[in-house]
Parts: sequence; structure tokens; C-alpha cells
Amino acid sequence: MKDIRIVIVDDSAFSIAFIRNILDNNGFEVVGDAGSLEEVKAVVKDKKPTLVTMDMTLPGTDGLECTRAIHEIDENIKVIVISSMMDDEIVNEAKKNKVSAYLQKPIDADELVSTINRVMASDELYQFLEDEYVAVFKEALMDGLNKMTKTLLTYKSEYATDEQHESAGMTIIIGIIGKFSGRMLVDLSKETANNIATSIFKRETKSNDELMSALGEFSNIIAGNACSILNRKNKALGLRLAPPSILSGDSVLISAPTFKTTSAIAETSFGELLLNVGFKRGAEEWM
Amino acid sequence: MDVKHINPFIESFTNVMPELGFSSAQIGNLISKDKEVMSSGVVVIVGIVGALRGNVAYSIDIESAKQIASTMMCDSVDEFDDNAMSAISELTNMLTAHAATAFSNIGIIIDISTPTMLQGENVSIKMSSDQVLCVQLLADDIPIEINISFEN
Repeated sequence: MKDIRIVIVDDSAFSIAFIRNILDNNGFEVVGDAGSLEEVKAVVKDKKPTLVTMDMTLPGTDGLECTRAIHEIDENIKVIVISSMMDDEIVNEAKKNKVSAYLQKPIDADELVSTINRVMASDELYQFLEDEYVAVFKEALMDGLNKMTKTLLTYKSEYATDEQHESAGMTIIIGIIGKFSGRMLVDLSKETANNIATSIFKRETKSNDELMSALGEFSNIIAGNACSILNRKNKALGLRLAPPSILSGDSVLISAPTFKTTSAIAETSFGELLLNVGFKRGAEEWM
Repeated sequence: MDVKHINPFIESFTNVMPELGFSSAQIGNLISKDKEVMSSGVVVIVGIVGALRGNVAYSIDIESAKQIASTMMCDSVDEFDDNAMSAISELTNMLTAHAATAFSNIGIIIDISTPTMLQGENVSIKMSSDQVLCVQLLADDIPIEINISFEN
């Protein structure tokens, strides 16, 4: 695991020393501490920690206000609350404020160390997925098309999707579920869909139903192969697929999701095809 | 498809809607449809895996979607803009997540994917199983359709 730089936020010198001692003894780098909102902002901007331990009761502020201030500076910084107060209501409030874990004082060394490791492992795993998935899905589409139709494709562009776009006619959606959830979406014109299905069947499709089944299965194979490759690269991802849903209609608009997705436009011998994939960092497991 | 798999969605709807500011949450008709579902307005697809595998397609006409977003945001929504879309997307996410919890209470463990939202007229939705159960629900008399399809 890469170096983890930690800032300790607490208004008690004893608690700071106690937590610092545990972290020092377990190979973590304590880069600073703070006891007020202003100190928190200053030390986070200055030291750029990967993780902050956060007391809940602080003079003139509280742990949640400080957490929000930290995430305004950098939303990727993990916050673990260490507080003597712990009840359902405050834990729920902490979750809403994107706290990664909640520990009650007095804490013991093993509990803190394992919690930090789990919080950081989840972050690293997401980063791994983020780095890998675009290439893996593009490759799976290329391979799938090649195996099923003996043709090649070229990708002409790739971009992050942050606004809605109009469907070319037919959209296949496959939900992906595992350590992180997401979706794969394939969008193409009915003509392109028909050309692909005709090539797979080596004859004209008999009905719209057959056409949709073919494209559903085509997309399912691509998503299945891509997720298998990702799962092989890192078992902890545990990605599984929901069955495909196939939508078609007049001037259908596909909304941009609330999380980042990437689109790639593939030029095939059958026409243009849009591949869009993304995973939500979102609701990480609560620890 | 087992009709008892509808109950968690109904339970979720009757629990979640009042929390979002709706004063009534009523259950309308239960209709069995074949694979293809027609819809106009907003469609949100959420995938399901685990002890059950399938999809849920929420279908709401645009006017109703705007009214729902208005209630959720405590603000009148004239255009189905990004904020309104985000509210509807979050609503379907909450409804499916609460249904998943209700399923787990009867020993059926499922996980849900992120929602995908589309809008259009005369949208045909082909779902995974041969039978789709459609529950018509009303939140303060605003109609929402939940189409549920599980593989056998």
C-alpha cells in the first residue's frame, strides 16, 4: 500500500499524542494535527494528507463541519471519525457527510490500523477500476465484434460524458454490480443494429424481437467478457451483470448519470456504435 | 415470475414517498405485460443481481416527473432540467434500495446497479424475462409505473 499521510484533528493534546503514537508505531506518516476549523483548513491545504482522523466535538465547530471543509479542499481525502460520542443519529449524519468510518474512543491500535487499511484499500481498488475499465471494455467490444462477425472496428473518439445525448435509435443497458456499481450502455441506429444482427445470423432477422434479442446477447457477451477480465485482474471487484434491457423509440434522450462515465465511438463495417461505461465511487462500504 | 416479488417494491414505495414529502402513497393496478413495455416520458432502468436477477424500469410521464421533482425539491419545477432529472434518478435509486432491504428481510439478498435514465416518446422497453409485472402507483395522485422483470 502506498504511503498514507495522516492529519489528526482533536482538541485534546492527550488524544493527539495517543493517536499519533499508534500511527507512528504502525508505519503511517502523521503529517500534522489541528484543533479548530481554521487549523484544519490550513493544515489540509499545506500538508495534503490522504486521510484525516476527526474528533466530533471541537471548540467553535464540529467534526462534520470540518469534514465538509476538508472535502471542499479535496473530496478524495478520507475522513475517519474518532469520537467518544457514538449513536445511530450521529453515525447517520457522519455517513451523509461522507465520513468513511466511525470509531468510538477509547480506540485500540488494531482497530484503528485495520480501519485505515480497509478505507484505503477501497480507494485504491476504485482507482484501479478507474484506470483499467475503459481499455478493457473497448477491447471486449472489439474482440466480441471480431469473433461474432469477423470484422474489425476502429475507435474514432473517446470522451467523458457529462451531458445528455440523443440516442441513435436503439439503446442497450446492462447494469453492473459488485464492489462498485455501474453500467454499460451501447447505443446504435436500428440500421446498424440490423446490419450486426444480419451478420451474426448470416441472414436477415425475422422480427424486431429477434433483432433485439441478438443485440441484447451481443452486448451481454461484451459486458460479460469485460467484467471477467476485470475480475481476473482483481478478485475484490466481484463484478456481476444484470440482464440487458433494450430500449428504442423516437428521439430518445439519454441522461448523463450523476457519476463519471466514458463514451467511445466505434466505427464498424455496420455503422457507428457508441459504447458508454462508468462506475460510481459512491456508497463505499461503511466501516 | 412470482407475484410475491412485487411486495418489496410496494412496501418501499409506501415507506419512501411520505419521507420525501408526499402525503399519500397508493397502490393502483397490478398488470402482467409481455416482454415489451411501451412508455412515454421518463424511463429509469435499474439492474438487479443476487438471489434474483433482472431489471426494474420506472416509467413516469414528463408532467408527473416534474410534479414529483417539485415535491421532492420543495420548489416548483417548470422544466425537466438537470436538477429535476437528478431528483427522479435519486428517487428511483432510493425506491430500489429500499426494495432491496425489504427483500433481505424475507431472506432474499439482492444488489442493485446505478440507475440509467432516458426520455422519449413511444419508447419500447424490452426486458429480460418473458413476463413483466407492472405495478401502477400513485404518490399524491401522481402516477408512477414500476415494471419488474426477473429471470426464472
